Amino acid sequence: MSTCSVSKGCFVFKPSPKKRRVSPKTADYFREGNNDSEDSGLRFATCQSLWKQIKSETEQIQEELNKQLFDNLVSFLRRSHSEFQEKTTEWTCQMKSSEIPTAALVLGVNVTDHDLTFKSLSEVLQNNITPYVALLQAKDCPGIKNLMQKLMGQLMNCYIDVDTSDEEDWVQVSQNRIRCSMASLISWYENITKKTDSETPSKKRTSSRHLQSPPVVVIFKDMESFTTKVLQDFLVISSQHIRELPLILIFGIATSPMIIHSLLPHSVSSLLCIELFQSLSCKEHLSTIIDKLLLTTQFAFKLSEKVLQVLINIFLYHDFSVQNFIKGFQLCIVEHFCSQPLSVLCCRLVEAKKRVNSLSHSQCENVRRLPSFRRYVESQVSEKQIALLTADNFLKEVIQKLLEDLHVYHENYVPVLRCLHVFTSSLPKYPLGKQIRELHCACLENRVWETEEYESSLQLARMLNKSDLVTMLQKCVEIFASSSGKEFDKVVEKLKEFLTQFQKLEVAGACQERGESVSSQKELQKKTDLYHLQKTLLELKESRRSKKLTKFEMLRFEVVDFIDNLVRNYLVPADHKTLHEIMYFNTASALREHLNAAPRIALHTALNNPYCYLKNQALKSDGGTISNKAPDICIVYKLHLECGRLINLVDWLEAFSTVVMAVEGPNAAASDQVDDIIHARFIRAVSELELLGFIKPSKQKTDHVARLTWGGC
Amino acid sequence: LESESEYSASCSEEEEEEEEQKEANTVVLGRKTPAKTKAASTPPPKKTLSKKMKEDKMSNLVEEYFEAHSSSKVLTSDRTLQKLQKRRLSQETLRDLLKKAPLAFAAEIKELNQQHESLFSKWMLQLHLGFNIVLYGLGSKRDLLEKFRTSVLQDSVHLVVNGYFPSITVRSVLNSITEEVLEHIGTFRSPLDQLEFIMKRFKEDPSLELYVLIHNLDSQMLRGERSQQILAQLSSLPSIYLIASIDHINAPLMWDQAKQSLFNWLWYETTTFSPYVEETSYENSLLVQQSGSLALSSLTHVLRSLTPNARGIFRLLAQYQLENKDNPSYPGLSFQDFYQQCREAFLVNSDLTLRAQLTEFRDHKLIRTKRGADGVEYLLIPVDDSTLTDFLEKEDEDV
Repeated sequence: MSTCSVSKGCFVFKPSPKKRRVSPKTADYFREGNNDSEDSGLRFATCQSLWKQIKSETEQIQEELNKQLFDNLVSFLRRSHSEFQEKTTEWTCQMKSSEIPTAALVLGVNVTDHDLTFKSLSEVLQNNITPYVALLQAKDCPGIKNLMQKLMGQLMNCYIDVDTSDEEDWVQVSQNRIRCSMASLISWYENITKKTDSETPSKKRTSSRHLQSPPVVVIFKDMESFTTKVLQDFLVISSQHIRELPLILIFGIATSPMIIHSLLPHSVSSLLCIELFQSLSCKEHLSTIIDKLLLTTQFAFKLSEKVLQVLINIFLYHDFSVQNFIKGFQLCIVEHFCSQPLSVLCCRLVEAKKRVNSLSHSQCENVRRLPSFRRYVESQVSEKQIALLTADNFLKEVIQKLLEDLHVYHENYVPVLRCLHVFTSSLPKYPLGKQIRELHCACLENRVWETEEYESSLQLARMLNKSDLVTMLQKCVEIFASSSGKEFDKVVEKLKEFLTQFQKLEVAGACQERGESVSSQKELQKKTDLYHLQKTLLELKESRRSKKLTKFEMLRFEVVDFIDNLVRNYLVPADHKTLHEIMYFNTASALREHLNAAPRIALHTALNNPYCYLKNQALKSDGGTISNKAPDICIVYKLHLECGRLINLVDWLEAFSTVVMAVEGPNAAASDQVDDIIHARFIRAVSELELLGFIKPSKQKTDHVARLTWGGC
Repeated sequence: LESESEYSASCSEEEEEEEEQKEANTVVLGRKTPAKTKAASTPPPKKTLSKKMKEDKMSNLVEEYFEAHSSSKVLTSDRTLQKLQKRRLSQETLRDLLKKAPLAFAAEIKELNQQHESLFSKWMLQLHLGFNIVLYGLGSKRDLLEKFRTSVLQDSVHLVVNGYFPSITVRSVLNSITEEVLEHIGTFRSPLDQLEFIMKRFKEDPSLELYVLIHNLDSQMLRGERSQQILAQLSSLPSIYLIASIDHINAPLMWDQAKQSLFNWLWYETTTFSPYVEETSYENSLLVQQSGSLALSSLTHVLRSLTPNARGIFRLLAQYQLENKDNPSYPGLSFQDFYQQCREAFLVNSDLTLRAQLTEFRDHKLIRTKRGADGVEYLLIPVDDSTLTDFLEKEDEDV
């Protein structure tokens, strides 16, 4: 069946049931995508399990980060609802009673992440407060009627969901048959609370979790996108019925809480009793994610500097979306396991060692081809070189050792990085960056101790005051003590020694200083004339300058040198390590291409310089010109660039045919046939440009088109 | 060449002196008409100055833009296609002519396509991992997607949507999913309801899988906000795999952050350099003669189902419109006159019957009513004259 038709635009193809395969496995595509089927099954399994782990890890992180916010929200809901339940007759309460308790939840501009937050929020609410939670989105509610319909649909369905376990014969009410009005909503609520009230003695389960006569929580996911009219109507109506229906609203806000007042007039916003909640900023969220996913030895898979930079740039300059960051991370994993046959070893050390033993010969050859391994071989003595290049078994042993080295490197890298970050993050102007991710990138990029920024931060560190230095050292001790690296016992000892020295210094320094200052003060207190005073002051100054460094300063130098030593030992860039290709994904270009594509540039390049794509010598041209043998659309495009706002089709056609005729040569007589074909080619090219959005027909003048683009696309 | 004297500004309300006009013309000749030989051969520019040139170019572009938009008048030549003695080509002759023209760089284009085809299994992998795929780049991606469909998707349920089809709607996409894929009988009140139904079905039954191929997701009919929203939500279902192509330079502007994250795109550049044969065949191109065959067939279809009297009424209106086709300010036939004529031809006996008939025509979009300045109702057939002539001829044959 063809998919061209003049009467139909959609075509469904269903294979006959006999032929239908039992859904081909994703793994099959993974295998097909690789020309060498080397360990592809195992690789895919590793890839999937890794992704699963990372996914659950990220979800857990999000949950933890949101916990505080949700706790606050839950307590707010409880509090405001208890006011409703008390039904006190005090005057203030009556005044307040027509106000709807509202939580304004400021979530930030990363709209794409909000969905997950709301999903877990509604789960939390359903577990703790009330089964009646409705989530509304602006796009579902163009009018108040749709809003009520959506609201009732969600509330009544949720009721059914709760009760299906107890009453099998509950008849599902079609929401379409109920009139969507506040009155029916109230009667439904009364019904339900009566029912649960009468049933409470028999089942304690629900009553223990939920409050008595639970409130109805309505969440507006994207408050800014709702039409003002709809919101106003809903608020006014529900405030009329707040006594019969305990309603609590939650507004999801992406911009600032001021938006409530600019969206709603005072008469409406005064019906609300608003409390503000602020969610964690997305930057903090990202830092935590990077901390837990990248700066850990838990996951064998790593990102190289360039890749990480691309992902961070997309985050910072495009969307602030943590979800997108994770999506990019997923793509990295898939690409890495697809493209690197040796990624089969990208797993936990114990497992990887086992896998090394079962490597095939061709995989061994793959290892030998790795640039980092080549470098390693070259640094060995000649007998060993031969053995490495010829004996597979020997090679495997070495690979195991190298993998272990790499693992140890990672184990040491992270605590030292954190320790360095403790220092650099408190320096003025942050020469190495404020965030640990910036420091991480700098360390991955090249030897960090050779950079200017590092030099200047060391200099700044040499000027730190004592109390700062002591707290930093304490932090470092904590970091090293909690790390799993085996080599850090000595480091911790040394750091502790520094700390005790500082303490001693404090005691000693205090005595010394007091003595010194007393003596000098005494000298000053003596009655002197101006000349003598000047002289003594100069002497004092002189003595201070010539004085050797104080003990504190010496110690400070020692500490900084010690840290510097650690950095030089442990923060070697990863791509200096042998076999780093197994763990590190470094094709940043692929990532940029697929996540952050530039379709306009691609189009412009294809039109302007077809040689980039069609590698034909005839198309090769330099400068701004284009060969006259280029595809028609390129020539037409080039000609249109020379025009102003309007283009005369006749002139355009003539120019085109002149260019094209030049190719045919002078002997090709301008027969009618040739002319017609050129005309047709011109028509095609022009309509293609129209499809691409470069021109549009214009009515300003007959047979003219308007140009729509300016500049290099 | 007599074109020299034919230049004039497109906005003619300003009276200009002859001399000034002439001066402008010479400027125009030098710059605004496409230079005929520039593309063919120009000396290569000096490379040493390339950077400076780039800067110059940049500022030039900006200046060019403001220059072009600063005044409301644009100077171009007045020549029209009619004077060129070249008849407008019909769709068929155009197609035949293009068949004769050899495809340039066929070998290179084939190689490009082969490069893209090697990605098929990667696409499948990524589709299954929850991404959706969007193709961009110059050249029709229809053949590539067709190849993808026939080589990989043969054994699975899939839906092909021709976005460039002039009367495609998101509704028809949803309909073909509910009716043909899910085999559901019944209608829905709104696309949103329908979408909800689809989402529910796909969530309930994990064995359901659907591949959706959309050629030209950025077409006129689908680029609207609501359509894109619905398609985005559809594509976010884990068991619906979407692979789409875009061509328009501003296509990515269709999607805000929320939609983009629903679509979960992976971008693939697939520059093919293939001509957009199918995609432009529907387009009402400037230089192609309108055959109007579609409109004609729909006209005859509708009228065939009407009573002889109703057909007569329509004929009267059509004839009257054709008689006045040379009158550019023809407002249409006023209702009173029309009623009179119909009465005389024994087609109606009261204006109520005529009104009922006209309502039916209007429902089928056969006529349009317009209120004139004097409050009188005018009736028009919104079809171009040639189609109408064809229609009347055909009617005569039938009778």
